[in-house]
Amino acid sequence: MRLSLRALAALLAYPTAELRAALPEVRAALAADPALAPALPGLEALAARLGADDLLDLQEEYVALFDRTRGLCLNLFEHVHGDSRERGPAMVELHGLYAAAGLEPASGELPDYLPMLLEYAAIEPARGAELLGNAAPVLDLLHGRLLARGSAYAAALHAALLVAGAVPGTVPLADAPDPTPEELDAAYEEAPVVFGPGADPAAECGGEALAARLRAARRTPNPKPAPRPVLRRVAAASRG
Amino acid sequence: MSHFLDRLAFFKRNVEGFSAGHGAVTNEPRGWEDAYRQRWAHDKVVRSTHGVNCTGSCSWKIYVKGGVVTWETQQTDYPRTRPGLPNHEPRGCARGASYSWYLYSANRMKYPMMRKRLLRLWRAARTEHADPVEAWASIQADETKRRAYQKVRGLGGFVRVSWEEAEELIAAANVHTARVHGPDRIIGFSPIPAMSMVSYAAGSRYLSLIGGVCMSFYDWYCDLPPSSPQTWGEQTDVPESADWYNAGFLMMWGSNVPQTRTPDAHFMTEARYRGTKTVVVTPDYSEASKFADLWLHPKQGTDAALAMAMGHVILSEWHAKGRGEYFLDYCRRYTDMPMLVLLEEKDGRLVPGRQLRAADLEDGLGESNNPDWKTVAIDEATGRLYVPTGSIGFRWGEQGKWNLEGRDSRTLEVTTPRLTLLGGEAAADVAFPYFGGRAPEFFNPTAHEEIVTRRVPARRVTLKDGSTRLVATVYDLFLANYGVERGFGDCPASYDEDAPYTPAWAEKVCGVRRGQIVATAREFAANAEKTNGKSMVILGAAVNHWYHGDMIYRGIINLLVMCGCIGQSGGGWSHYVGQEKLRPQTGWVPLAFATDWGRPPRQQNSTSFFYAHTGQYRYERLQVEELLSPTAPQALSGSLIDFNVRAERMGWLPSAPQLQANPLRIAEAAAASGEAPAAYVASRLAEGTLRMSCEDPEHPANWPRNLFIWRSNLLGSSGKGHEYFLRHLLGTTHGVQGKDLGEEGAVKPQEVTWREAPEGKLDLLVTLDFRMSTTCVYSDIVLPTATWYEKHDLNTSDMHPFIHPLSAAVDPAWEARTDWAIFKGIARRFSELCPGHLGVEQDVVLSPLMHDTAQELAQGVVRDWKRGECVPLPGKTMPAITVVERDYPRTYARFTALGPLMDRLGNGGKGIGWKTQHEVDFLASLNGAVEVPGVEGKRPRIESDIDAAEVILALAPETNGHVAVKAWEALSRNTGRDHTHLARGKEHEAIRFRDVQAQPRKIISSPTWSGLESEEVCYNAGYTNVHELIPWRTLSGRQQLYQDHPWMQAFGEQLCVYKPPVDLKAHLEMLGRVPNGEKELVLNFITPHQKWGIHSTYSDNLIMLTLNRGGPVVWISEVDARRAGIEDNDWVEAFNLNGALTARAVVSQRVPEGMILMYHAQEKIVNTPGSEVMRTRGGIHNSVTRAVLKPTHMIGGYAQLSYGFNYHGTIGTNRDEFVVVRKMAKVDWMDQPAGQGDAAVPAVAAE
Repeated sequence: MRLSLRALAALLAYPTAELRAALPEVRAALAADPALAPALPGLEALAARLGADDLLDLQEEYVALFDRTRGLCLNLFEHVHGDSRERGPAMVELHGLYAAAGLEPASGELPDYLPMLLEYAAIEPARGAELLGNAAPVLDLLHGRLLARGSAYAAALHAALLVAGAVPGTVPLADAPDPTPEELDAAYEEAPVVFGPGADPAAECGGEALAARLRAARRTPNPKPAPRPVLRRVAAASRG
Repeated sequence: MSHFLDRLAFFKRNVEGFSAGHGAVTNEPRGWEDAYRQRWAHDKVVRSTHGVNCTGSCSWKIYVKGGVVTWETQQTDYPRTRPGLPNHEPRGCARGASYSWYLYSANRMKYPMMRKRLLRLWRAARTEHADPVEAWASIQADETKRRAYQKVRGLGGFVRVSWEEAEELIAAANVHTARVHGPDRIIGFSPIPAMSMVSYAAGSRYLSLIGGVCMSFYDWYCDLPPSSPQTWGEQTDVPESADWYNAGFLMMWGSNVPQTRTPDAHFMTEARYRGTKTVVVTPDYSEASKFADLWLHPKQGTDAALAMAMGHVILSEWHAKGRGEYFLDYCRRYTDMPMLVLLEEKDGRLVPGRQLRAADLEDGLGESNNPDWKTVAIDEATGRLYVPTGSIGFRWGEQGKWNLEGRDSRTLEVTTPRLTLLGGEAAADVAFPYFGGRAPEFFNPTAHEEIVTRRVPARRVTLKDGSTRLVATVYDLFLANYGVERGFGDCPASYDEDAPYTPAWAEKVCGVRRGQIVATAREFAANAEKTNGKSMVILGAAVNHWYHGDMIYRGIINLLVMCGCIGQSGGGWSHYVGQEKLRPQTGWVPLAFATDWGRPPRQQNSTSFFYAHTGQYRYERLQVEELLSPTAPQALSGSLIDFNVRAERMGWLPSAPQLQANPLRIAEAAAASGEAPAAYVASRLAEGTLRMSCEDPEHPANWPRNLFIWRSNLLGSSGKGHEYFLRHLLGTTHGVQGKDLGEEGAVKPQEVTWREAPEGKLDLLVTLDFRMSTTCVYSDIVLPTATWYEKHDLNTSDMHPFIHPLSAAVDPAWEARTDWAIFKGIARRFSELCPGHLGVEQDVVLSPLMHDTAQELAQGVVRDWKRGECVPLPGKTMPAITVVERDYPRTYARFTALGPLMDRLGNGGKGIGWKTQHEVDFLASLNGAVEVPGVEGKRPRIESDIDAAEVILALAPETNGHVAVKAWEALSRNTGRDHTHLARGKEHEAIRFRDVQAQPRKIISSPTWSGLESEEVCYNAGYTNVHELIPWRTLSGRQQLYQDHPWMQAFGEQLCVYKPPVDLKAHLEMLGRVPNGEKELVLNFITPHQKWGIHSTYSDNLIMLTLNRGGPVVWISEVDARRAGIEDNDWVEAFNLNGALTARAVVSQRVPEGMILMYHAQEKIVNTPGSEVMRTRGGIHNSVTRAVLKPTHMIGGYAQLSYGFNYHGTIGTNRDEFVVVRKMAKVDWMDQPAGQGDAAVPAVAAE
């Protein structure tokens, strides 16, 4: 087991008294993983906050960030499939991946919950890293948004990106231009339905693809919506 | 060469052409098809529906794969209709098809949540107090602590808590509240049980067991049309949508059928293919308008003028000419038109007064039972006065004569009543009020006199006191009121004369061309005459939500009745606002209101409650003097809340809280003074040592303390006067702009103690939801519920006769639980916390004089005991008083078992009762039986939601044929006619929960409803009244077109009159008060049902947001937009004294000048910027509204005008409101944390 990822999962989960008690253990595990070294100062700071601040305040902050802020939802498919029809099948697929490793979700969380993915990666380091690699654009998006808010949790996403083998900050979130009317028109255009070899069943629902493409734009702080190229990459990665 | 060897003998090649080379067989791998197969593969398909208030009740297939809901599609296995009628399916709409996306959405409520500041206080208190009840008491005793969490309601700050901790706090709060303040300070709001009746019953059963209060919704939503109880003694009963197909002439009047009745709309389009003419009446070019053969667009709010003018035409061309024998015969048999009315003298004029009763005449015309409540007609053949059977006096105290056979009660001969006294001995000049001159400028006031005098045929009658009085028939008064010329030469000579209510007059008022009015009226009536009543009007919220919406409705009802359309298939009054038809109602009531354990339950009309307890009455600017009729027999005075207080005092309307004393302490006080509790309360009220809570709503002893909200978004959707809720009930950041009467130094109410306005009446606000709605955001505790694909429940609609299940396709995600499980859990914890605080208690319950009981004959005259006009007599001159025993520590045991009152008292509804022991025994074997401490023997178990559903299905006549026969037998005894043939054919039919999961099941005909569920005829309201001669539940037992209650006379509404919208005076003071440099407009604020949501549900769903503009929008006309320099998609703000809202503008040709249209229930949790006026986040549509009560809706104890839960009472109107509209100068998203920036900001915007 790659204990550092189990520790990372714990840091990203809802803060509890149990977690606080285990913080020394968590910090040790994180420090022992050289791959996480670039994120370690940030992780230390996060762990320190989790250890020092009032627990209810920490919980309130967690709820405000991850339960109440759609753009920071830790269920990764929220950012890939949103409220689209693809979400159910995607979760089924992920569930199958866990089952293949002899794992069954036990906490009541859905399979796409990032801490669950991290725990999977702790158990199945190679496949887990690959899985996180696929999710890298989403992780980067979350990382960027947390950074913009000045949240200590950004470090946890930074670490997840390191596990995924990705470089944080490739998503130029802050200074992206608004989509032009032409780009919006293009986004609204439905692709013709194609049958036979080469057909992509996932792409057939024009409306849903459109929703996915426009979704993030609505969620970023107004008046600067996220650029469409990023979304395209996110969507592409999810289908990879 | 023969090529023999080239030809294959045993094979042929699988790649070759055929059809002369036009076809080809290829040999490529077909692996790509697997992608499709996998995508559509699933483990199981489960039937469910959407428990949302849309009336759809559509059957859906929910696909489940790997324990995850993957998608849903429309079910297509409805039982087929009969030949000649289109089938029901497909049902469903785009909104429902997006539902599964909620299950796993980031919007989903995943864990029980609590406000952090409350939790901190709670945990601290719990360490000090081992007893949770004492812990709660310690927080409530400290005003600083209380305000600490109240003040941050709506400002974020939630943390997750365990179910155990949440349940303990809630239970402790309930125990404390019941013990200290009284159980009637624990309030529950949940609407529209038909959409998920078990979930509704979960909360209402808990509340009813502990003596809490269940709040009404239909009236509060302003969906209840008061004209329906006034006319028919029925809340609402309507044709199923399939019956639209049978119409010969179809009007859609203020109802946007394709948009808001999407799954039913096909019957309307199919009727058009059959050749039915369709006339649509809407002020804007709505989606329905596209289906019109003729689109009429009166100015909003003036529809009654159009209806009155149509009536003028029909009465002139048919009735006044004696044309249309079908119409005349119908009016004689089924309406109060032949009944006599006393003409009363007032200021030297004669005005229509009370309907003549048997008791007014010598010897009561032979009637000894209830002669006060038996109306009188004239025998056409002999000219003598007689008492026709069927009036309400026959309903109580005797049996066999309550029917519409049209007999003389004394001789039992079938007798034809005289409709008109024209050509008789006398005629009289009668005064009718005219209100059209009082209209605000926008609504086209006219210059006619306030009183119109018409000559009416009359006759002299000698009363038993020896006096001689003039009487007239309702029919003659009715025609005179419409200004129909009868040969006296005093009515308008032509349609072109500008006098009430001619087409020319209506054209001036409502803007519809007179030619179109005349043509539509003629076609409507001609069709009805040819088809025996197959002219239909589908009508809805657009005309119902006005202050005087009842007048608009009565105008339309009059058209339908004068043409004999009510109770005829293909005709009638099709009012669809709210999923009001809980078909198995009588089976559900015992479960929902725990009448199996104690009766009566506490039920409250929400409009009056919220008007008082959110302090909206404090800002009332509408004066009663503006409303009174110039013909009023007596001058009534006071403010609107005064009328409500009088109504509560006289037992007309319910109260909550009830008394300024804990109702658990009254019985012992009474015992100490040696009096019965009822007598004790009456005498103490009379001497003033005990007060009703309504007289002092701001006194802390009278505050509601705990509020449960479930299946509802009260604060984000239906809460009229939103900002007042925030200010006074919740005590948090608000945007109220006006001053109250005290601050303004205006005249204050007479009946209410005026105090400084409290902020934060509620100790605890608990909301159950599956998504973080606006209401959740403002709550102290939010409990995550199961979605509609995660629980078992039942769902019915008025639009079709089927009963649908909601089914648990998957277990509730995260920590969500079903409503049934949640309230069961609270009941359990509550029971555990009772010892030491609450035991077996005697709860003194006040209840109003109820419709469908003998109490509806309680008050023939208006006498207020408080003013010494009579003595307070419980159940007669004041509310009834009952002592209900509560076994608090056994609340949970009672919650989970069917109680013994079913065996002892039986079941019933709408004025009839039957024994139901057989069904109780059956349930004990089906659900199993359990022991309940303190009760002999075992009781049927109600453990799971399916158990609960089976209780409903077994006890209801609609789903149990045996019960249906019993119910019809019971009614047969009242009417003296055998109705059991209506259910005999289905006697052995019983519908159980698994049956409805297998296929939608059609319910069984029952006397609870006035239509039939048969294979021969579509369900249509009033059908059994007309065809089975069952009386309507009104004064005359007929369709009551004349309202003779003294308050009706005072407000001039004996007959339908045109009343323009009222002036609420909430906008002009705001003009220019907080300038931002942009031009300000004044527009009428209209809030129709929306296209991209069902109320607020789905409106936060990205799919639906993507189809529109992704946030709040208002629609304005191009003309107004140009005037104010507003361009499409600009941010605008609409505001008045009530508050403000922010939205983007849709500039559209659809909207007429002078109107701002905002689809209702767009929540402030999605993309809503800050308000420049309120300095807080922009509000919801109800931020610019305030509820305003109408006194005539408070009447009680008077036949059909008696209280019933969601049946009758004040309604929350909101269409008469005006707002100031302007472009926003600065769009501030207020996305900094609370406390930073320049204003307190509710943390509810999208990130």
